[in-house]
Amino acid sequence: MKPQQLKKLLVYLSKDYTIFGPEKVGDRLLIREIKDAKKFKLVNKKPFYSHKEFLIPSSQTLFNYDKNKLLKPRIKRKQVLIGIPVYDLKAFTLLHEVFEKDVYFQEIIRNIILIGHSPVPEETTFYEDYEEHILEHLRFDIFLEFKPKGEFRVFTGSEDGQRILEKVGIKDYEHVEYAGAVPEEGLAITEKIKQKLVKSSKNTKIWKELNKRCIVCGKCVISCPTCFCFNIDDEPAFEKNQGSRIRDWGVCFYEEFSEVAGGEKFLKTIGDRIYNWYDHKFVRIPNEYTLPGCVGCGRCIEVCPANIDLRKTFRDLKKLLKSKKL
Amino acid sequence: MKNIYQTKLAKIIDIKKEAEDIKLFTFKFVNKKDQTRLDFTPGQYFILSVLGFGEAPFAYSSSPEEKDYFQVCIQEKGTLTSGLFKLKKGDKVGIRGPYGNGWPKEIFSKRNLLLVGGGLGLFPLRPLIRSVVLAPQKFKKVQIFYGSRCPELLLFKKEYKLWQRYTDLCLTCDRRSRGWKGRVGVITTLFDKVKLVEDPVVLVCGPPIMYKFVIQKLKELKFKDKDVYLSLERRMYCGVGTCQHCVVGGKYVCKDGPVFSYKEIKEMPQAI
Ligand SMILES: Cc1cc2nc3c(=O)[nH]c(=O)nc-3n(C[C@H](O)[C@H](O)[C@H](O)COP(=O)(O)OP(=O)(O)OC[C@H]3O[C@@H](n4cnc5c(N)ncnc54)[C@H](O)[C@@H]3O)c2cc1C
Ligand code: SF4
Ligand code: SF4
Ligand code: FES
Repeated sequence: MKPQQLKKLLVYLSKDYTIFGPEKVGDRLLIREIKDAKKFKLVNKKPFYSHKEFLIPSSQTLFNYDKNKLLKPRIKRKQVLIGIPVYDLKAFTLLHEVFEKDVYFQEIIRNIILIGHSPVPEETTFYEDYEEHILEHLRFDIFLEFKPKGEFRVFTGSEDGQRILEKVGIKDYEHVEYAGAVPEEGLAITEKIKQKLVKSSKNTKIWKELNKRCIVCGKCVISCPTCFCFNIDDEPAFEKNQGSRIRDWGVCFYEEFSEVAGGEKFLKTIGDRIYNWYDHKFVRIPNEYTLPGCVGCGRCIEVCPANIDLRKTFRDLKKLLKSKKL
Repeated sequence: MKNIYQTKLAKIIDIKKEAEDIKLFTFKFVNKKDQTRLDFTPGQYFILSVLGFGEAPFAYSSSPEEKDYFQVCIQEKGTLTSGLFKLKKGDKVGIRGPYGNGWPKEIFSKRNLLLVGGGLGLFPLRPLIRSVVLAPQKFKKVQIFYGSRCPELLLFKKEYKLWQRYTDLCLTCDRRSRGWKGRVGVITTLFDKVKLVEDPVVLVCGPPIMYKFVIQKLKELKFKDKDVYLSLERRMYCGVGTCQHCVVGGKYVCKDGPVFSYKEIKEMPQAI
């Protein structure tokens, strides 16, 4: 597919959808509304934040209430998300599984067109190499593989994707049938190793050391495309008996995450909570969904003011294993 | 697609004060079908909401045999519970559930039971006691150890006479006080003073500190880990294993619990 055809595609989509894609803002690549589809150029780089906010909004109204009536807002926004590197697609495929029975997520995703693309490895990324065959385990509508001279090899991953390309007159695409999130061989061996390392390291000094360094800013959690913890709270409106029930992103690094009424906390130290974060990503998610909980985008490494780097944590864990301290 | 956060309306049909900051609420679903379809296992919980004050988990306190209503005993603690305490008979709340596993009902008819409750820990044991009273044929011998700090804090006093007809109810208060003629001492002292039912399965609920002492005692008495069950409390939002607040040792208290055997708990660091 020629670069011109991508423009044509976006112009076509902009009639029915609002398009969100990466745009250079200062020295960051941020997701913004693409108001002029003709001017958009897809760059081969990772957006600073992922498109997670569009799939699980940081603040989502579950209900508006009036006296004793709960009214669920209808979610009808039609959106196109473009500029999603393959590892973010992987994260969203996981979110799909996690929120399989969540009407809010399902309503949002039903009205979204996902346009993914192949990434070039950057300094902090550590995902497995992009190979064509992983596409069948990813949820997407259209996928663009970067080719020389600004050209793309095009795949479709859904009927919507096919229908759209046909409408625009793009014929040189290959269709990939979605084969479920989990590959036949199950969890990759590299993930199984990470799982074992984290599981057996609970009482090691690694977490005590991180306990000293982490300043509990929560940036890693906010920037991670797979982090999905949440809180639910009511926000009364000014009118008597009216208000909303809101689901907000949770931050498991915060002290009150595990606090119950009366003040008892169960994840007491920062070390406990960092361990819990690793346990969720590398032990629990693989157990529950047979999928990795970390897609290797490297964002948590880039944003951490304390220079905490999970690649280093795993190097340290491996060292411990070698020295038989695990 | 069903919305898991949708609540069902229930009406407060009775409120009884049990202690200074504790009330027993009786609810009935507004929709008749919701009420007749209600079925749960003692030890399960539901999520209650008072609009404007949010949601929180509470254990059923009545038994599944009571079909026309359901009860919950609540201590006033913070935002939601104080909102609830302002409500009156006839007011409505939202309910979703039942959630969690409940006490191991498959053993109810097979084994003697020893229920050990400390303070508010009696709340989720009461449905079981009421089941024993209402359907004694479903149970073998049942013994209850219940302890509180002082006599004023012993809950459900009016029901003891009835309970005693069907169970061996053993009470204790931590401290000596005027007017209390019963046993004095922390709950574990009952194990030395009272003859235990034969080879029971032990169901324990109370504050975290109590678990340590009770477990120690049960170990001394050579109870098997798999014959001891504890109910855990954690912060909860979703109730279905997604929000992550209730996690402990790789398990979700909201859906894998709140009841765990001690055998499981031993594998869960920082569970108790
Ligand atoms: C399985 C289970 C069964 C329970 N059964 C009973 C019962 O029968 N009777 C009773 O009085 N209490 C029970 N509790 C405790 C009850 O949930 C808390 O007392 C209640 O959440 C306090 O809410 P609050 O808004 O008044 O307190 P606040 O301290 O103002 O707020 C606590 C905040 O944390 C959230 N939260 C979620 N889970 C909990 C939790 N477990 N403890 C505290 N806060 C929580 C609440 O939604 C709220 O937003 C139970 C808890 C669990 C986990
Ligand atoms: S844990 Fe870090 S590297 Fe892994 S997906 Fe989250 S932000 Fe990316
Ligand atoms: S970004 Fe770094 S310092 Fe901030 S909470 Fe995460 S690990 Fe801690
Ligand atoms: S309450 Fe949400 S995971 Fe348990």
